[in-house]
This record gives sequence, C-alpha cells and structure tokens, in this order.
Amino acid sequence: MNDPTSAAPTLALDVRGVSKQFGGTKALDDASLAVRPGTVHGLLGGNGSGKSTLIKILAGAYRADAGRVAVFGREVALRDFNAAAAAEAGLRFVHQDLGLFDDLSIEENFALDAGYPLNSARGVAWKELRAQVARVLEEYELDAEPRTPVRDLRASDRTMVAIARALQGDDGKRLILVLDEPTASLAAHESQGLLDRIRRRADKGQTVVIVSHRLREVLSVADDFTVLRDGVVQGTLRDEHPTEDDIVALMAGGLTVSLRPTGSQSHTTGRPMLEVEDLRSGPLEGVSLTVHEGEILGVAGLVGSGCSSLLQALFGAYRPHGGTMTLAGEEYAPESIGEAMDRGVAFVPEDRVHEAAFMDRSVRENIAIAMLKEYWTTKWMHRPREDRRASELIDRFHIKVDGPGSLFSSMSGGNQQKVVVARWLQREPRLLLLDEPTQGVDVMSRADIYATIRDSAKHGTAVIVASSDMSELHALCDRVVFLKQGRIEQEVFAGQLDVDGLTALVLREGPTPTPTTLERTATS
Amino acid sequence: MTETSAPPSATTAPAPEPGTAPQRKRRATAVGHFFEKFALLLLTVAVFVFFTFFPASSTAFPTANNLSVIFGSQAVIALIAIAALFPLVGGRFDFSLGAVAAMSQTLAAGLMAKSGWPLWAAILLPVLLSSLVGIANGFFVTRMEMSPFVTTLGMAMLLFGINMWYTSGQTIITGVDPAIVKFGSARFLGLPLVVYVVLVVAAIAWYVFTHTPYGRSLYAIGSNAASAKLVGIPVERNVWSTFIVSSVIAGVAGIIQLSRLGSATASAGNEILFPALAAVFLGATAFTPGFFNVIGTLVGAVFVSISVSGLTLAGASGWASNVFNGLALLIAVGLSTYLGRRRRRG
Repeated sequence: MNDPTSAAPTLALDVRGVSKQFGGTKALDDASLAVRPGTVHGLLGGNGSGKSTLIKILAGAYRADAGRVAVFGREVALRDFNAAAAAEAGLRFVHQDLGLFDDLSIEENFALDAGYPLNSARGVAWKELRAQVARVLEEYELDAEPRTPVRDLRASDRTMVAIARALQGDDGKRLILVLDEPTASLAAHESQGLLDRIRRRADKGQTVVIVSHRLREVLSVADDFTVLRDGVVQGTLRDEHPTEDDIVALMAGGLTVSLRPTGSQSHTTGRPMLEVEDLRSGPLEGVSLTVHEGEILGVAGLVGSGCSSLLQALFGAYRPHGGTMTLAGEEYAPESIGEAMDRGVAFVPEDRVHEAAFMDRSVRENIAIAMLKEYWTTKWMHRPREDRRASELIDRFHIKVDGPGSLFSSMSGGNQQKVVVARWLQREPRLLLLDEPTQGVDVMSRADIYATIRDSAKHGTAVIVASSDMSELHALCDRVVFLKQGRIEQEVFAGQLDVDGLTALVLREGPTPTPTTLERTATS
Repeated sequence: MTETSAPPSATTAPAPEPGTAPQRKRRATAVGHFFEKFALLLLTVAVFVFFTFFPASSTAFPTANNLSVIFGSQAVIALIAIAALFPLVGGRFDFSLGAVAAMSQTLAAGLMAKSGWPLWAAILLPVLLSSLVGIANGFFVTRMEMSPFVTTLGMAMLLFGINMWYTSGQTIITGVDPAIVKFGSARFLGLPLVVYVVLVVAAIAWYVFTHTPYGRSLYAIGSNAASAKLVGIPVERNVWSTFIVSSVIAGVAGIIQLSRLGSATASAGNEILFPALAAVFLGATAFTPGFFNVIGTLVGAVFVSISVSGLTLAGASGWASNVFNGLALLIAVGLSTYLGRRRRRG
C-alpha cells in the first residue's frame, strides 16, 4: 500500500490508510482524509469514532501504526512524526482550549509564539510589534487594539486571535488550519459570527479542517465532509450539501436518533410544580414563571441575560433579594444548596469541567457524591452498593466506560455529561434544572441525554432547560420562555415555531416596556 | 481561594480518545500496577532488611529494643503526618503544624514547671489553644480567602516567636510532672504506649476518610471545589474544619512529644514538620497512587524512621539521613508521576 507517487499534489492534505491500535481495539482502521486547498472540510463522528485519534496523529501526539500523510503533495515521515514536525509540515492546530495567555495583551500573545521583534539594543521593538499585530487584526476582522488584554475580548474574538496567531506570518496558502471544536464554548450567535469569518478566510484560499459536535454549524460552513464511525470512514461528501439527517444517518449507522421535537408527546399533568413570582437576584429583575409536573420548560436568552443566574437562584446557590417561590404547593426559599437538594431539586451546571466534574476521581465516586448521606446509613460507606448503583446507571444511561472504577477523565465529553446527568437523576428529583445540557456533547450522546430527560419528565419531574441552542430547545421543550434583561419577555409553545422562529425571537433586541406573555396556561 | 498543588501523581491528563481506555488499562500490566501500589512497602522492607544485615548496623538495629525506640520516637512524626492529611486531602496546605506541636509541648511543660499547674490542666489548655489556632487558620483561609500556604507559614512564624518569648529560648527540663514521662516510656506488648495512640488516631482518620460522607466530601473538594459546592457539599465549613482537626492532632502530638522527652524546646517545630510532610507525600505514591491516604502515610512514616535510625546506627553523620529522605522523596514522587503519565498515554 506504500506507493510513494500516489499522493495527488492537488490535495492540501492527503491522509491514506492510517490505522491506530490501542491494546486490542482499532481506534482507526484504514482511515483516509482528502482535503482540497481553499476549502473547509468537516470531520465528523460520534463518541469513539476515531476523529480525535486522527487529529492527534496529525498533531504528532499519537504515532500511527500504518498509513501515509502528505501535506500539499509533500510526504511526511509518520515514523518519527511529532508536534514540531507537524508544524514544519504546515499543519496548524487551534484546540478547544485556545492556549492563549488571558492576562497578556494580544500583541504579547502573538510575540510569545513567534518571537519578539528586537531593536538595536536587543530590547523589544514595541512599535514594530504593535504595527505588525494591528495589520493582522485588521486582516482577521478583529476590531481590537493590539494592547487589549485577551481577557477583555469576547469569546469568539479570542478564538479568532488564536487562529490568527496560529497562521501568523503566512498568506494562508501554505498552511492547513485544523480547528478542534472551535465553537464548543460559544453561544449560538457568537459561533455564527466566528464561522462566517472562517468561511471568508477559506474564500481567500485558506484550507481549514473543522471538527465539531454542532452539526448544523459545520453544515453551514463546510464544503466537504468526512464521516467516521468506529474508526472507519463511513462516507466522504464533496460539494454535496448534505442535510443534517444525511450526516446523522452516516454517523449513527442506522440507529434512530431522537433529536426530533417531541411535539404532542408532552407528559405534563398541568399541576404546577414550581411557581416563581417576581424573583430578583443579580441580573434578574422580577422573573415570574410556572413549570408543571412532567413539563419541560425551555429558557432562552443571550449570554448575560440571566439564564444561568435564574437556575442557580432556583438551586439555592444564591439567595435572591426579592420574590417568592412555591415548590409542589409549599413555600420554597432554599438557604443552601443542601436544602434545595433535600427539597428534590437537581442542577446540572453549564460548565462541566469546572463545575460538575471530579476529573481525577472514579465514575463511581462521581455518581455517589450526590448521594453520600443516603449511602451512609449503616455508619459505613457501602462500597459494593455504590458500585452496583453506578453499574446500573452506566447501563441505564448507555455510558461508554470500562466500569465504575474508571477515572472520570478517561471518558469522552458526551459520556462525562451523561454521568453528571445520571448523578442527579438517581435522586429522582421533582425539579430538574439543566444549564446548557449538551454543550460540547456529540450528537449521539445528545440523543441519549434528550431521551433521558424526556423519560424523567414522563415520570413526573418538572424540567427547566436553559440553552443558547435553539434547535435544542425546539427538540426538547414543551414550552419556551425568553429571558431578556432580567425579565421573561415572551413565551411560546415549542411546537408553534420552528428553530429559525425561535432564533429570531431570542435575537430580537429587547427591551419592551412590559413583559408580554402570550399565554400563561398549562400545556395540555 | 488559592489551592495547593495536587498530590504528586494526580495530574489530570486530558481526556484520552474515547473507547480506548479499557485497552490502555490492560496494557499497564498487572506487574506495573502491583509495583506502583506496593513499591513503598517493598522499599521499606528492603531498607529494613538492609540495615538488619549491614555489618555496621546489624548488631544494634534489628533488636526489639531499638525498634521500640524507633517507633516511639517517630510516633510524633506519624501524628503530625496524619494531621497534615486533613487539609491536604481537601486541597489545602497547613504549614503551621510543627509550630503548633512545639507550642503545645512548651506550653504544657511551662505551665507545670513555671506556673505549677496540675497535669490535666497543663494538657487541656495547650490542646484548646491548638484548636484556636486551627479556627484562626480556617477563618483566614475560608472567610478571608487567603492563600493557605502563606497564612499557615505566617502562623508558624508567629507561634515560633511566641514560643521563644515564652521559654526565653531555654529548654524546660525540670518541673515536668513525672506521671506524663512515665506514660511516655510505658510499654504494652513490647511497644511504647504512644505507638498505640498513633494507631488509634490513624484508625479513626482512616475511618473518617474512607467511610464517612465528611471524608468523601474532602476528597471531592480536593478534586474540584466548585463542583463540590454544586453537589451540596458545605465546602467552606468542611475546609475550615480540616484546619481545626489538624491543629488539634498537632497539639496532642506536642503533648506526646513532651511525654517522650520529658523536656521542651521552642525550636522543635520544623524538625518534626519536614519528615512528617515527607511521610505524607511518600504515602501518596502508594496504595491508592496519586492520592493522600492514611495507610500510605503510616508506611511513609515507618520508612522515614527506620532509614534514619539505620543510618545513625551505621555510623552515618546527622546530615546523611536528611540526604537519604530527600532523595527518597524525589525518587518516589518522580517515579509515581512518571508511571501515572505513562498509564494515561497512548
């Protein structure tokens, strides 16, 4: 299979027959990837599909067992390929963690990567650096001063700075930009802006490979697609404009995916579970809402609109300074998170890594941590029972992991999120609060998590989902309320509008003077 | 809140490619796992065997009397090590434990020698004062959100200074109640009584860490305090309490030290703290590699004490034991970090 002349010089990146084995299983089996110059190429696949392995091989982090890679027609030696060789070959990576120094200025972030320009006294030529960086910023459509600290930029601009830094000193013709989940931590409208700019770079000749869990976004920006499943390439689509369903079918391989709206399947009984009246806390300036038994209520809002604050206030993380709440007919004013939990409230936070995970602990411990008091009935922590319980939950939620003893960090993001959801659902909460429940989660795990949430609602749990992803709210919720400037501005049944309609509503700039509520009755 | 670094090999690797974890685990052979878990124990046995047969120490080292002396004199180090575990498991560092022990030791001696207090009161007051130090440390670290390292370092220096003032730099030798010295030299089944005190404290600590929600919550806080808060763990209260528990144990350790020596010096603090910390970090490389644990800490303390004793009996100078322990710590932590990293790589 090693024919040295077969690398077509017209391809920017030509990966052929790459295999990688971990222990007994093939993470990649004879995988190929053909990226045309000046195109955006989407690399797609679910959990364990091998796309991360492929990226890591290209980045020089893993060594391939077999296969060949050519960059702009030039064969690279995979045998002793490492990060430096990858950079030398013209591959540039921007990972989900951007690797920027947040406290330093944009210009220093550039200079730390490429070296500081020096003046005659061997000191830093700041003026020269500033001029250089200003030119680059303009080229990359960044409206910022070189001296601005990276911390002060909006999230999508930070990503753009990382991209510009990765590509600095090149006109874009000789480098391949690999973006690994560039939008995973961005709100929907921010990521669209970023993707537009990436698209325009590609139109100017930049070659881009993009890995993302957000299918809709990749579909909007990419020309070609390669879809992996179980380490095998399932399909390569060139200029075919596939639909989301086409891609999902390739990724899932015949599995049905419940990403479609529930529509008339609502499980609500109409009995109010939580009633909030004029809640004031932080950015919240008088929120009133009701969620019913078995109902899934979506809260839509832009970043800073107070969605997260709302959920945290409901969970007792902050003491609101005004308003009343009623949970299942009784007054509800949690003084602490512990009290909220005792009252049957559960909360899946937005930032899995920083606010939900115990990365270096086992899956069993990550699950049991929300049930310590319940497990401690006999004056001992009952390890076998914890193990049994964890194994049950792993089965029930289709979590792909070796066993309850495996480290939490050994799982993929989607499975980590399932563990966090399982941690709370084992408590059989009356009120389940979810903040961006599928951010950075692949499409297959997302389907599993949606099914889990719906099942929980079916058993009478009231669910509140805050999300910036309108397709998520559309697929999952019975009813959606819009939070703008600390108030509920609008309310619709999810079935009444399509995704674009919801997006239009959330983007429409407030502030309308009085909250207008379409309907305040329970869904039937 | 500033947190101390995680234990040596607990570095969280980026999530590896999903679906490959089982294979990688299998690749790390059973031998490797065994070695990683029990390396410290095997090393301790090896050091023991070495000094038993090494000509220079073979006459004095392996005698029941010497072993009893070793364990007795190192009981205090083991107690301080267990004390240090509490904040460390919760991700915080307590540097003041040596000074707290020294304070408790000198104050107890001074109260008896200078002020003529009865034994019970001369023990009770220093232990109560130790708990106050813990309350202060916890207050600074949780409520004031001060760095634990700097806070407890400052507290250590403060206590050391007060100690020097209280004793005027002198060693308190006379006036200590003979009853406590008798307790310090008493034996049961061939071992000093104080060793049993250590074992009881260790057993309680083990139970607390592994079998109570409180102990489990500490490991969770040490892993990720923000996550711990959002699963309903009272993070601030529990972290605060670790400083109180550690200071009280250190206070008791000071009393034990007084019972062993029958005298008290103000400057004794750091001589206890460093070997104790060595024992804790050595212990974190064993049994549950990467995590602070009670059993590992005890083995670490035994390792430190027999190596010191063996070297001394073999005629090595005073500096040799420090060099040996320093190297042992560097090698143990280096090895467990390396093994941990290799285990997580593809």
